[in-house]
Amino acid sequence: MINQDGVWTRWFRYLTCLVLVVWLIMPLIPLAIWSFARGWFFPDILPRQWTMQAWEYALSETAGVLDSLWLTIGISLSATALSILVGVPAGRALGMYKFKGKEVVELMILAPTIVPGIAVVLGIHSVFISLGLTNTVQGVILVHLIPTLPYMTLVMAGIFSNYDPAFEAQARSLGASPLKTFWYVTLPAIMPGIIVGGLFAFLVSWSQYILTLMIGGGRVVTLPLLLFNFATSGRNDITGAIGMIYILPGIFILLLTAKQLSGRSGAVGGFGRI
Amino acid sequence: MSDRLKIFLLLLPAMSVIILLFFGGLLIGLMRSFNYMPVIGLTEPNFDAYIAVFTDEEFYLSFMLSLHISVTSTLISCVLAVGAALLLRRAFIGRAIINFLFQLNLTVPHLVGAIGILYLFSQSGTFARLAAEADLITRPADFPALVFDPFAIGIILQYVWKEVPFIGVIVLANMQSLGENYESVARSLGASRWQAFRHVLLPLIFPGLLSASVIVFAFTFGAYEIPALLGANYPAALPVLAYRKYTDVDLAARPEAMALALMIAVLSVVMLFFYIRYSRRKVRS
Amino acid sequence: MTNVSIQNLTKVYPGADTPALDRLSLEIASGELTALLGPSGCGKTTTMKMIAGLLDPTSGDVRFNDRSILREKPESRGVVMVFQNYLLFPYMSVADNVGFGLKMRKVDPDEIKRRVGEMLDLVKLPDLGDRKPSALSGGQQQRVALARALIVEPEVLLLDEPLSNLDAHLRFEMRDLIRTLQQEMGITTIFVTHDQEEAVVLADRVALILDGQMKQYDQADAFYKRPIDEATARFFGGHNFIPGTSQDGKFASALGPLGLPDGAMTGAGKLTFRPENVCIGHTRGDQNNLTATLDDIIYLGTQTRLKIRIGDTAVEAVVNPNDVESYSIGDQVPIHLPVGTLWVIS
Repeated sequence: MINQDGVWTRWFRYLTCLVLVVWLIMPLIPLAIWSFARGWFFPDILPRQWTMQAWEYALSETAGVLDSLWLTIGISLSATALSILVGVPAGRALGMYKFKGKEVVELMILAPTIVPGIAVVLGIHSVFISLGLTNTVQGVILVHLIPTLPYMTLVMAGIFSNYDPAFEAQARSLGASPLKTFWYVTLPAIMPGIIVGGLFAFLVSWSQYILTLMIGGGRVVTLPLLLFNFATSGRNDITGAIGMIYILPGIFILLLTAKQLSGRSGAVGGFGRI
Repeated sequence: MSDRLKIFLLLLPAMSVIILLFFGGLLIGLMRSFNYMPVIGLTEPNFDAYIAVFTDEEFYLSFMLSLHISVTSTLISCVLAVGAALLLRRAFIGRAIINFLFQLNLTVPHLVGAIGILYLFSQSGTFARLAAEADLITRPADFPALVFDPFAIGIILQYVWKEVPFIGVIVLANMQSLGENYESVARSLGASRWQAFRHVLLPLIFPGLLSASVIVFAFTFGAYEIPALLGANYPAALPVLAYRKYTDVDLAARPEAMALALMIAVLSVVMLFFYIRYSRRKVRS
Repeated sequence: MTNVSIQNLTKVYPGADTPALDRLSLEIASGELTALLGPSGCGKTTTMKMIAGLLDPTSGDVRFNDRSILREKPESRGVVMVFQNYLLFPYMSVADNVGFGLKMRKVDPDEIKRRVGEMLDLVKLPDLGDRKPSALSGGQQQRVALARALIVEPEVLLLDEPLSNLDAHLRFEMRDLIRTLQQEMGITTIFVTHDQEEAVVLADRVALILDGQMKQYDQADAFYKRPIDEATARFFGGHNFIPGTSQDGKFASALGPLGLPDGAMTGAGKLTFRPENVCIGHTRGDQNNLTATLDDIIYLGTQTRLKIRIGDTAVEAVVNPNDVESYSIGDQVPIHLPVGTLWVIS
């Protein structure tokens, strides 16, 4: 510890703190206010009339907002599940073994986190047309795999590099079959990684825009697409409501796993490699 | 089962996805940018699309705009993130709140933040109204254009809002694992706080900072929805231009769109190269 | 030349019930090499950090040459600390590391180069200036850390567990180096350790700290011959505490009357003597001769540990294996406890 702070430093710290807090929350406030506003025009600081209209619309059967919500959740869960299925074995290979060409493989898996979606999706689109995957939910899920898989794999690689295979050998020598070994020994040990990686993967899929737009062709309307449409249509009140709905799952996930994210688990370490 | 076979099988599903979807997508895009697609009868590759792009003034304007957005956003975010990490290093009242808000910010999608920025900074937005309240302006048009503007201020604001927590969390984790002892040594040898930071801490966190910056740079260069929402129409950011060309009624614009997409890919690969070079210099403390 | 006076130094960490360090008082003469010895958590590292200015004390004072230094910032106190893991700046070469303090003081670059060269010669690493710390062995890294600290000619040098990371053969080398440099440059040095051997081998005087309290501050041999209490004696590997009364130069206990050296306290207390001071197999003189039964013989290669019983009292002895070659478990053996090796504690 380098000396306790002087008086000035402490005040500076508190001030910066305050500024940070305000700044972090700031963009979300107008959205929230708009969702309860009934016509909010310049130069009013706050709406003159408040209403639940936007929310009633958003939550109604006919608006399609709820449909979009379930659709988005479904797509993101599917993409996450697939990423887990595919990413756990890949993470094991990267975390526990050394082999020729490992660096190349790591690079290939890392590449989608850096190369933006637009660079890839245009090419995929033309192929998907011929495969009949455009305008389908399956196509969208598939294409979401591109950004989610790397995160899942890298987190799992981090977990597996701290994992001692001797545990499995021990279980086998005590008579456990490979399946039982996996279920009782391996899985509990890697579960923190699956959770953290899964959450990242979910959030990545949750916020995808251009991939869904291109492959879904405007037919698969996930929440971000719906939100964008309303935002550019000028219906700020409905935009506000949808926006609030859109950030909810993220907050929910954060609260669920606040412990996992702040702990020094190997999972976070794995992500820290990125 | 030999180890090699085991490794191969473990990697097979993931590598199939990556190779088929990711590299496949890039490859197809590359081929079509050269108008080469035997499957549908285009058997003569040509440079038409590239010529069209490189002779188009709009391309250069878009490219420079995207570059400006990325460089500015990344630089500002880095500086602020390091500052935030220094602040959050040690325990103090309110640190838990900020940590929570940082993590909260990570879960908020860019699009929502962008809409928020729009509602705050547009000429009829919150800040404009506050200015009117303070009698600084009378009409919306009097408020400076911070969104849809040629300097992409709104876009940069949005990126900074999202990327400071992103980089900050990484740099903070880095700083905490390094501890304060290196700086203690430097201080006891006569370095002031600033000197200890500049000569000792900064070099130590630089690799992590660089890795994070590379990701941020590539993202801000190639993202679509934020400049689509907050950006001016002309020049548009490069990804917006690419999308526009791809969805153009004139199908001849498609190869041009692919060419643009490929250039975005190339730039990010250059970034990837920098990342690799510097991430090899890992520090074991 | 700086003498260090620690006066009632106390540290209570926020939220703790007991102080990490409780009213430590110590007078260290200029140029002395002092050890702060104690188990982990005893408060010795806390003390060191407070001297270095890395931690503020709850109360008490630290004075250099009768000037309180608590108000001063770490970089202007003239205290340099060498950490246990050396903390050489990984991105700088050895020469840059060593010259760092001078660079911060804005010394002329040529002058820096000259002095760095001198310093590296002094620590016997003349050609390693351009290397990076990661290319050096642990022993070499420590020398660089020492060079880096000494080159700025600190008023006080603080060393954190200087010998504990080294292999046995390197320890003596480093011990000699530290003592030589320290004495040549006359820098008041305080080091912290949990290993009593390290303390004894390196220091002029040792301060034993247990549970935040200083127990005894003395030259090394005093801890073996005249420990201040049972905890202190035990820390240095003492065994054999026998309750009884001390009067007129004799100790009365279940072992019978035993002659005591001059200066032993009087009254009720415990007799203590170290296992290695028990003479096995013969008597000597006309007092302190006893007969014991051999309960157990544990051969340790260079020594043999004996569990013996005098009457009902269990005693431990450590002897040269040759001295007990002819004995077996259950035998009665004569033993002698030399007067000078006995001590009484309360």
